[in-house]
Amino acid sequence: MSTTETNAAGIGPVEGASLYSVDNPAPVIEPPRKRTKKTPKSTRGNFELAAWLFMRLSGVVLVVLVIGHLLIQLVLDGGVSKIGFAFVAGRWASPFWQVWDLLMLWLAMLHGANGLRTVINDYAERPNIRLWLKGLLYTATVFTILLGTLVIFTFDPNIR
Amino acid sequence: MATPVLDKSDAAGSPEPGFADSPYITVTMRIRRFNPEISADAVWEDFQLEIDPKERVLDALHKIKWDLDGTLTFRRSCAHGICGSDAMRINGKNRLACKTLIKDINPEKPITVEAIKGLTVLKDLVVDMEPFFQAYRDVMPFLITKDTNEPTRERLQSAEDRERFDDTTKCILCAACTSSCPVFWNDGQYFGPAAIVNAHRFIFDSRDEAGEQRLEILNDRDGVWRCRTTFNCTDACPRGIEVTKAIAEVKRALITRRY
Amino acid sequence: MKIHKYDTVIVGAGGAGMRAAIESTKRSRTAVLTKLYPTRSHTGAAQGGMAAALANVEEDNWEWHTFDTVKGGDYLVDQDAAEILAKEAIDSVLDLEKMGLPFNRTPNGTIDQRRFGGHSRNHGEAPVRRSCYAADRTGHMILQTLYQNCVKEGVEFFNEFYVLDQLITEVDGVRKSAGVVAYELATGEIHVFQAKAVIYASGGTGKFFKVTSNAHTLTGDGQAAVYRRGLPLEDMEFFQFHPTGIWRMGILLTEGARGEGGILRNKDGERFMEKYAPVMKDLASRDVVSRSIYTEIREGRGCGPEGDHVYLDLTHLPPEQLDAKLPDITEFARTYLGIEPYTDPIPIQPTAHYAMGGIPTNVQGEVLADNTTVVPGLYAAGEVACVSVHGANRLGTNSLLDINVFGKRAGIAAADYSQTAEFVELPENPESLVVEQIERLRSSTGTERVAEIRRELQDTMDANVMVFRTEQTIKTAVEKIAELRARYRNVAIQDKGKRFNTDLLEAVELGNLLDLAEVMAVSALARKESRGGHYREDYPHRDDINFMRHTMAYREVGADGSETVRLDYKPVVQTRYQPMERKY
Repeated sequence: MSTTETNAAGIGPVEGASLYSVDNPAPVIEPPRKRTKKTPKSTRGNFELAAWLFMRLSGVVLVVLVIGHLLIQLVLDGGVSKIGFAFVAGRWASPFWQVWDLLMLWLAMLHGANGLRTVINDYAERPNIRLWLKGLLYTATVFTILLGTLVIFTFDPNIR
Repeated sequence: MATPVLDKSDAAGSPEPGFADSPYITVTMRIRRFNPEISADAVWEDFQLEIDPKERVLDALHKIKWDLDGTLTFRRSCAHGICGSDAMRINGKNRLACKTLIKDINPEKPITVEAIKGLTVLKDLVVDMEPFFQAYRDVMPFLITKDTNEPTRERLQSAEDRERFDDTTKCILCAACTSSCPVFWNDGQYFGPAAIVNAHRFIFDSRDEAGEQRLEILNDRDGVWRCRTTFNCTDACPRGIEVTKAIAEVKRALITRRY
Repeated sequence: MKIHKYDTVIVGAGGAGMRAAIESTKRSRTAVLTKLYPTRSHTGAAQGGMAAALANVEEDNWEWHTFDTVKGGDYLVDQDAAEILAKEAIDSVLDLEKMGLPFNRTPNGTIDQRRFGGHSRNHGEAPVRRSCYAADRTGHMILQTLYQNCVKEGVEFFNEFYVLDQLITEVDGVRKSAGVVAYELATGEIHVFQAKAVIYASGGTGKFFKVTSNAHTLTGDGQAAVYRRGLPLEDMEFFQFHPTGIWRMGILLTEGARGEGGILRNKDGERFMEKYAPVMKDLASRDVVSRSIYTEIREGRGCGPEGDHVYLDLTHLPPEQLDAKLPDITEFARTYLGIEPYTDPIPIQPTAHYAMGGIPTNVQGEVLADNTTVVPGLYAAGEVACVSVHGANRLGTNSLLDINVFGKRAGIAAADYSQTAEFVELPENPESLVVEQIERLRSSTGTERVAEIRRELQDTMDANVMVFRTEQTIKTAVEKIAELRARYRNVAIQDKGKRFNTDLLEAVELGNLLDLAEVMAVSALARKESRGGHYREDYPHRDDINFMRHTMAYREVGADGSETVRLDYKPVVQTRYQPMERKY
């Protein structure tokens, strides 16, 4: 009736058929990770709560910051054609815009990095791959944030 | 994979040939088979049978097991959606086989049946439920009170306080919700919707005094914050529990500390 | 094979088993062996409630409850046990509340109560509100609450361990329980559990009927294991047929539906119960209502094209009341029948529901080897046992009570016993019977199929030993069962494996059903009277002179290996209530 039964009766050499028997069963099909009596270890921290809240709050703030940023850069005062070194230099002369861009950099990077962290947690199956992906993610995030911050604070309009 | 096609006369409960207004229809059940005593691979196997469309998927599985292939293995007990034994993935959605009627899932096409996801498959539709119950046990699913001497009569509770957690008392621990959660599929260390639902049932019970402890347990790395609100769990629940809402209420209680 | 040693072993993890486990785990090293995950047990399917004379909503006392229980059981109830049941009911409901059970509440915050069949004020004057409930899922809540407390107490469960044999050793002329043999479903391995005390709480045996509210797993495994070892079964002819099962499917619709005001109607829309029970009407006891329904059907007043059912009418009740008090059963009607209970009546027919009989025990849950002798170390509680608090017919809500009262008692008694007793030596090759049984089935080359024999058994039981019985029909059933038992020896299974071999277990279960069906039919044939759930059309009246006594059935093996059922009788304990005619 079915191949499985044919195997059981030992009729015809089906690939892999002789490998397993009642007393020598194949491994069962396991999921990537599972809970046991010992896992997961409790950390009793508030980090996940903080991260969850941060995602919601930073999201709201970012909506204002990013839409404002896009309006100024791309729509108002002649749109994208006006952007040049001078335009940026002019804006960063004001501490207000410095803080705006700094905030946008930090929030966007942290928001994005945390989002990617959850994506890795949710979808990367093997522990090794998780480790590498997260390492890469954190390195890139720290590098970008540091570099951006450095530029904003040490920007010299008279360079050339 | 050979697809067995059976004579009508072979099939269970088949009507007399030429029976004009027979309620029976022919359906194909496509079942994900796995038997480690035979092969390391899971395979799809088709069975054709005559069945009244008002019957349950469980009835179809029984017809196969009793009349066609006795090796088909699945759990079942009460057969009317109370015991929670027969959660399985039917046409890609988690349901109880005993609460799903053939006519409600388009019998024109083959009906696929496979084990629920995220748990170890042991044989055919049978999975290892131990990790699922471990998560349940980890949320302290029992009434905890701090009073030193028990009251002689019952503890009083207003009808409104009783109503507050009514929805989550309906849970039958069938694992349909937890095994429908994409987060759980990949990371079984997540508590999962069912455990959170059962924590909710006590956190919001006015008689219970360990809500704080349970909240702390669910505040952890594999707790409620892993929920992505995909609503798969609410869709899957055969008892109609608003699972995602219950999880959201636990999240809110964690932030406001009011429950 | 593995050997385990525990002070106390409990077989079954439904209501009675877990209630016993909670007590026993506190007092002794306890293992619970269960063929299902505990929360899958059929206690969870109970709907209506749990009776206790709390008097939260109207005047009530446990003495009235005792009377109703005795009368409901058609005076075959052991009245000392019924008194304990009614008296300890109050504490067992309060115990559950303290364990966390979410009962429905009255406006002042106490446990709410509702009416239920056969429960009356002042010895039958009028219906009384005695059933404590949690919507129409009281059994579900009890099962969950007990499991939660088992988790709390750290009860040790062996899930999907299937007990197949009871071990008995004779010590100085006394037959004592030595332990049990179990089959592990996941691996096919045999485990011997040596225990000072064994408690059976393995539930009922309704699967020998076709139309039944019972789960597929209720196959009388406990009764059969004990019976095969020569211990008696009591009152097996008494089986309860619940009046309101979903037509053809047998799924239970709670009596609480009638407690909330639901009405039974025939095809003319007539409220026919007024004819049969002028006072209690639709809330007469279950045997009375079931017979009335079948009388209507037989006299041509049944509904539907084949006139084979009647209607449960809830349409006059406000939808809010149905949603609040009967959410599950209205959903069953929608799911399985496609009927909207707000506007349409629900087709119902009586469904095989509960075994009043079982393993005879005294009020401590100790199993009896004959009319008086106790088997040291062997206990039983719940549907598997016969105390007898249900007599010839159980009152609705008294089973949830039974499991809590006698589950607790058996748990305490067994643990106390195992604190003082010594281990009884295991018999030689304790696993031999089970190994032989398993191997015979696994290697059988016979031609008979489990499903076919089971189908024929269920058909004959439904046709011949259901609500109405006569000498002729019972004899037909006895002969058919004998034929099926002979064919069963030639049964073969397709799954020869070891892991999760449910094919094998269904064959084993069928063997149990056949043994118990035989006991039931033979007991019913000998009881030439009508009493409670046992109704003989050829003897339509109760005969207190000849049959005010419990049936005790023993397995006898002849010199040639032939098996027969030997019947004996045991007197009924009467204290306060003299038998009267039973009217509702």
